[in-house]
Amino acid sequence: MFLAQLKNELWKLFGKKRTYIGFGAFLLAQTAMLLAFKYTHWQSDFERLLTGNGYLASEFISVLTVSVVMLMPQIMLLMPLYATLVGGDLVAKEAEDGTLRMILSRPISRVRLLFVKWSAGIIFAFALVLALGLTAMAFASLAFPWKGMFVFLPNQVFGVLTAHEGLVRFSFSILFMAANACVMVSVAFMFSCFNMKPAAATILALSFLFVSMVMENIPFFDRYENFFITHHFKCWLLIFRDPAPWAQICQSEIILAAVSATAFIIGAMAFQVRDIKS
Amino acid sequence: MIELHHVVKKFAGHLAVDDLSFTVPRGEIFGLLGHNGAGKSTAIGMMLGQVWPTSGAVKICGHDVQSNRSKALVQVGAIFETPVFYDYLSGARNLEILSTYTAPTSKARIREVVEWVGLTGREHSKVRTYSHGMRSRLALAQALLPKPELLILDEPSDGLDPEGIHEMRQTILRLQRELGLTILLSSHLLNEVEQLCTRIAVLQNGRKVFEGNVADVKAARGKVALKTNNFSAAEKILRAQNLITATAEGKFITLAAGRSTAEINHALVAAGFAVEGIWQHDQTVEDFYLNLIKPPAVKN
Repeated sequence: MFLAQLKNELWKLFGKKRTYIGFGAFLLAQTAMLLAFKYTHWQSDFERLLTGNGYLASEFISVLTVSVVMLMPQIMLLMPLYATLVGGDLVAKEAEDGTLRMILSRPISRVRLLFVKWSAGIIFAFALVLALGLTAMAFASLAFPWKGMFVFLPNQVFGVLTAHEGLVRFSFSILFMAANACVMVSVAFMFSCFNMKPAAATILALSFLFVSMVMENIPFFDRYENFFITHHFKCWLLIFRDPAPWAQICQSEIILAAVSATAFIIGAMAFQVRDIKS
Repeated sequence: MIELHHVVKKFAGHLAVDDLSFTVPRGEIFGLLGHNGAGKSTAIGMMLGQVWPTSGAVKICGHDVQSNRSKALVQVGAIFETPVFYDYLSGARNLEILSTYTAPTSKARIREVVEWVGLTGREHSKVRTYSHGMRSRLALAQALLPKPELLILDEPSDGLDPEGIHEMRQTILRLQRELGLTILLSSHLLNEVEQLCTRIAVLQNGRKVFEGNVADVKAARGKVALKTNNFSAAEKILRAQNLITATAEGKFITLAAGRSTAEINHALVAAGFAVEGIWQHDQTVEDFYLNLIKPPAVKN
């Protein structure tokens, strides 16, 4: 029965046009990023950086390298927006439309209903990130060859990998991005369980992430960086370090899983005591 | 089927339902009347476990809704005012989605219900293309899916045209006749309640101010209509002889206890009035309701 309910929840989620706004926006952004990398001095800067560090640039300006370059701004800017948009809709939109009242005239428990909805949100997060990663690779392969991988983020990552190792790390990177998206969906979902409009839930979740990111970057809070969830979102880039800091990554992923679970529990508690009225 | 015992609901200090108790036995069509904000929808919300009572107990089909909601609602269907669905999906998909929140439902059962409500041929169209009447039928279909024994209808005719209201009324009667359902109906349409319900409860500001049989309400001694050549002069004569206690609207009289229309007629004819007509004016549920909830007259 749970699977049937989950299937129907996915029908509802993927039947809505607004669910695809994120996918559409990512496609547009990826096209723009690809063109910018190819036709501005961005590519030559990358080549200079590689050459300056003793690498043959032509061996590392590849599908995988460009895919990560394309993903960086999208993961930091667009993904939180679209993940929280869908997460904020999950409960609040149904309450606003009145369909929640019809569902809750049936003998399904509130916690079970929330779990079904949250699971659908998690599946959406994975689907969004997977689509993002695959389309980035597909777009990059139109203009660049399949070769070694180079990932650079000032003061964080300088990774030079073979094509095979790069693909393995890129796959892990997609997995960690999906974990980040799950946290974003979960936080928005938590707010959505309170008595508020869907837009308010989305804005609150975005504000929460934004405040976390700002505070993390204030030097005073350096020693407390583990308390900010945005600090743990960096796993998807840290995986490209050589060697990969697995202990740090595992710790961050466990913390992110705990944050998602906590968000679900808080949301469920708020929803359980709420009166659902027209 | 429905039992409310001293139910109280407060919203942020505002008393929405105050010490409400009533029972609805199996097979009855029970009407819940009251002005906007009287507490009808809150009471229905508590029956469906959507609104938690501040105190008191609500039992549906013998199960406490607060502690055993899942069992209480297994054979309950509900329709709310202005039916809302997932507009971007088909009617059949909506039914499939809603049915999974109760129990596994076969496609044959969905087809059967669609046919019962008269939506065959349109069930695969998107709900956004449905008229209000079709949405109401779809709402009825979703309520019938779990083979309910109890149907809770919160303003089911809201927004329907006269033809739709008539159709909904016939459907409700058919539901009780053919499927033997117990029905709780909340409505503003008093003539609808009069035609459908066997018993009613009237809520005013969250309190129950009346509960009784519709037949008793209609049979209650009401006004007598009097048509004569001079109503005000006739009133004086009748009052002087203690035959009436009150008059209204220049055409109605209220008989004094133990008096009959024959005595009125006799007194007026003897006094030289031309009595063109005198008859018992049957009280409707609307008359009863309006008298019940009208504010007391202000005395100077």
